[in-house]
Amino acid sequence: MNQLYLLNLLIYAAVDAMACLGLNQQFGVSGVTNFGFIIFQAAGGYAAAILALPRDTAYGGFQSYAGGWHLPFPVPWIGAAAAGALVALPFTFLFGRRLRGDFAAVGLLVTAVLLNLLVTNYRPFLNGDAGLSLIPQPLQGEYNPQLAGYQWALAAVAIVICLGVYLFVRRVTESPYGRSLRAMRENDVVADSLGKNLLSMRTAMLVTGGAIAGLSGGILVSYITTWSPAAWGYAETVVLFAAVIIGGAGNHLGAILGAILVPVGFEEVTRYIPTSNNLPPNLIPSLEWVAIGLLIVVFLWLRPQGILPERTRVIAAPGLASRARPGGDGAARAGGDGAARAGADGAEGPGGRAAMAGGPPPAAPAGATVLEVAHLVRDFGGVRAVSDVSFGVRSGTLTGLIGPNGAGKSTLLAVLAGTLPASSGRVIYLGQDITPLPAFRRARAGLVRTFQLASEFKRLTVLENLLSAVPGHRGDSLHGAMLGRRYWRADESAAAARAWALLQRFGLAEAANEHAGDLSGGQRRLVEIMRALMAEPRMLLLDEPMAGVHPRLARQIGRELVALCAEGMTILMVEHELAIMDEFCDPVLVMAEGALLAEGNMAELRARQEVVEAYLVG
Amino acid sequence: MAAGRRERRRGQPGRRGFSGVPAKTRSVFAGWDPSSPVAGRSDSGPGFAGDAGGAGTGWHPSGGGGLVSLFLASIGFGLVTSSVLAIAAVGFTLQFGVTDVLNLAFGAIMIFGAYVAYLVNQAGGSVWTGLVAAMAASSLVSVLLNAGVYTPFQRRGASPITMVIVSLGMTLIIEFGVQAVSGGTAVSYAMNSGSTFKAGGLILTWVQVVIMILSVLVMVGVHVLLRYTKLGKAMRATAANRTLARNCGIRTSRVITLTWALTGALCGLAGTVFAIDAGSFDATATDLFLVLILAAVFLGGPGQPYGAMLGALVIGLATEVSAVFIPADYKYVVGFVALLVMLGVRPTGLLGQRA
Repeated sequence: MNQLYLLNLLIYAAVDAMACLGLNQQFGVSGVTNFGFIIFQAAGGYAAAILALPRDTAYGGFQSYAGGWHLPFPVPWIGAAAAGALVALPFTFLFGRRLRGDFAAVGLLVTAVLLNLLVTNYRPFLNGDAGLSLIPQPLQGEYNPQLAGYQWALAAVAIVICLGVYLFVRRVTESPYGRSLRAMRENDVVADSLGKNLLSMRTAMLVTGGAIAGLSGGILVSYITTWSPAAWGYAETVVLFAAVIIGGAGNHLGAILGAILVPVGFEEVTRYIPTSNNLPPNLIPSLEWVAIGLLIVVFLWLRPQGILPERTRVIAAPGLASRARPGGDGAARAGGDGAARAGADGAEGPGGRAAMAGGPPPAAPAGATVLEVAHLVRDFGGVRAVSDVSFGVRSGTLTGLIGPNGAGKSTLLAVLAGTLPASSGRVIYLGQDITPLPAFRRARAGLVRTFQLASEFKRLTVLENLLSAVPGHRGDSLHGAMLGRRYWRADESAAAARAWALLQRFGLAEAANEHAGDLSGGQRRLVEIMRALMAEPRMLLLDEPMAGVHPRLARQIGRELVALCAEGMTILMVEHELAIMDEFCDPVLVMAEGALLAEGNMAELRARQEVVEAYLVG
Repeated sequence: MAAGRRERRRGQPGRRGFSGVPAKTRSVFAGWDPSSPVAGRSDSGPGFAGDAGGAGTGWHPSGGGGLVSLFLASIGFGLVTSSVLAIAAVGFTLQFGVTDVLNLAFGAIMIFGAYVAYLVNQAGGSVWTGLVAAMAASSLVSVLLNAGVYTPFQRRGASPITMVIVSLGMTLIIEFGVQAVSGGTAVSYAMNSGSTFKAGGLILTWVQVVIMILSVLVMVGVHVLLRYTKLGKAMRATAANRTLARNCGIRTSRVITLTWALTGALCGLAGTVFAIDAGSFDATATDLFLVLILAAVFLGGPGQPYGAMLGALVIGLATEVSAVFIPADYKYVVGFVALLVMLGVRPTGLLGQRA
């Protein structure tokens, strides 16, 4: 009896740990809050059942179901994983739009409730409320499932598969692709603007998580030999969420710990509560659910990072040779010696500015128009934030964009970068009409923006923030991640070298392995600019890059930007500080009330009456 | 052995978690409901296929002549459902709009209110006394929930998704807290639902008429509150931009507390009339009704009270009228499809502008 009890615990622990790993990969790592997770486990359970069961006329036809193929052992489990993955596909439509994460979560929760209702009430498909029973166990023709040896073998297989799932999710999470997933979790709009395809990443997470959940359902069904709607109420998802949150969202070992503590451990504890006839019926099970709810709320309050928090990924600096640079600290050398410095960097490896400014040389020759905007309009409901704006930005210029608050500068930048769609008008970039392109495609084409509000990925280190923006990284796809470190190591070290070079130039090397969320406001602006540079832009759209930055540092940034432009970069920069505009920007565009008011250098603009009235005075 | 544990942990049929449709005994479309306490387990019961036209247990349209009257009657039921739904949806949407909390525990608090009314009713009070008590109790619980849980989390800068998870945790606490006390069996109010009467093809009981009148009064009341009172204007201002409202001298924290009190009262009212209309209820009865509330709210646009009224009317009618044409067990699917389509295609709602 004790042996059977232990077996039972082991199999449940393996199944729950698997499910928690799948959910952690979605929720803890990627920020995909899948409140319908249990649907995928259910799908796997049913798939395994109808693949293994004989036709429903067997056993006197006491249950009715579709399928009943009576297939041999590994097929039901493979089918379970496939079913979980397939069922996940339609849900990507909820994430296809720019839907708030909490709304999408509600959609999935509601789907879980409704699917349970449908399966409960519709009998022919999966035997309705009563569920399926007498599901054949793996290889039960060859071996006797009643024997302890068989059960031990089943438990061992379940644990080995669970281990395999752990290695899989760890491999994905610790790859550059995993870094992109975590960046998406931290701030999806920003990840989008850095060239990350959110829909593709979310689809991949829903499908792989769905396959893991399905497999766990298949294994569970093979063991308990029954499966019914009562086993997968929506609240079961909440139990798994509780496990992941308590164990430590984002930490896969934490997810396993949570699985052992909550779904498994919790049950075992309540087993020892003495029952008495004086208690109201259902008291203990009801209180179990109350306790699960309490655990979630209390943990989110007292220890939101969980028992085993997501670990900080420290990336060591490359060899000292590339760190020791002539001239000492980057801040001291900022300024007119750009060419000399670029040469020095080039000699040291891929940390030079040429690599930073984008691999291929700019397509547009100096002075040619990089970005052309024609009759661009953006409406919010009845408000016209950008109204019929047309202008061009020439290659190699540091163009300023000024205007009073509410003039539409940030909206214009967002429309140019694709963060917001244009209501009408066209945006031409390097001779190509990019108006219909989403933000991540524009970023991949080299048109990269920064944000007015702090937008660093808070729970990524500074270095990870920079590395997350690297385009074309071999490890930045599910495929590349699966091929392993050996496949993408070269790209990673090249990217890291570039990142370290940037960090040194902007004097942030000391903070490289700190969480970006722990930095000061000014430092965060720097991180954002460096991250944009890591994306190898041809044109940068900067939204108040110097706001909240110490004036001396602001000048340094300004000089760096001028130097970048001298090397072929094109920059359009929103800024309120006129002294900055005077010193660095030419030409300067003036916006007021959504429209473009004037264009010219600052000296000309100061002489123009309407500009002075719109902005410089009032 | 294994199945036994499974049963203990997850497999308590019809008790833990979501238990299915409330038994709508007063509806002619109640159909055969496998999860209702009356119908028994489906192991021996009729399946869905045998259900259509099953005498006494359900009704399925088969003749042409009956269809028109059935259709009219379903409109009557639809209006009643819409009335219940409108009270809940307006409460939910005001809560979300003003306080920015997507409070999934709304359904649980509805049941809490309904159960308070049941206790008053058991103690000898009329169901209408119970209704007032339910409003007061739900209002109090909502205010405490906000002050004790949601506001602290929001002050700490919790993300919207964290708030939803917290509200889901609170759903379990409240819903199963009620079940721990009530014992998990379905209960009914001791009340006389009065005689039925027909008006232009609609067949209604006077209780249902009272529910509809109550609902209309609530809608008018909300309209007057939002349009003509200082509090209502402050609520709208807070909903539009909390920081700006505070800077304009509106005491937003007080407005938010009052909003929780008000919407909590609406929640208790909705829960009690829901229970009256359903005939009997248990602690998990609103799990599905919450789907309809969310559908109505998202149809009208989250945070839009007038949208929620319209959404409630559409969803309530669509739910009941659809029951004429599809088996009654699936009538919630209409609301569900509406919700998913709105979420996928136009999450700001038919009337909404907020992005």
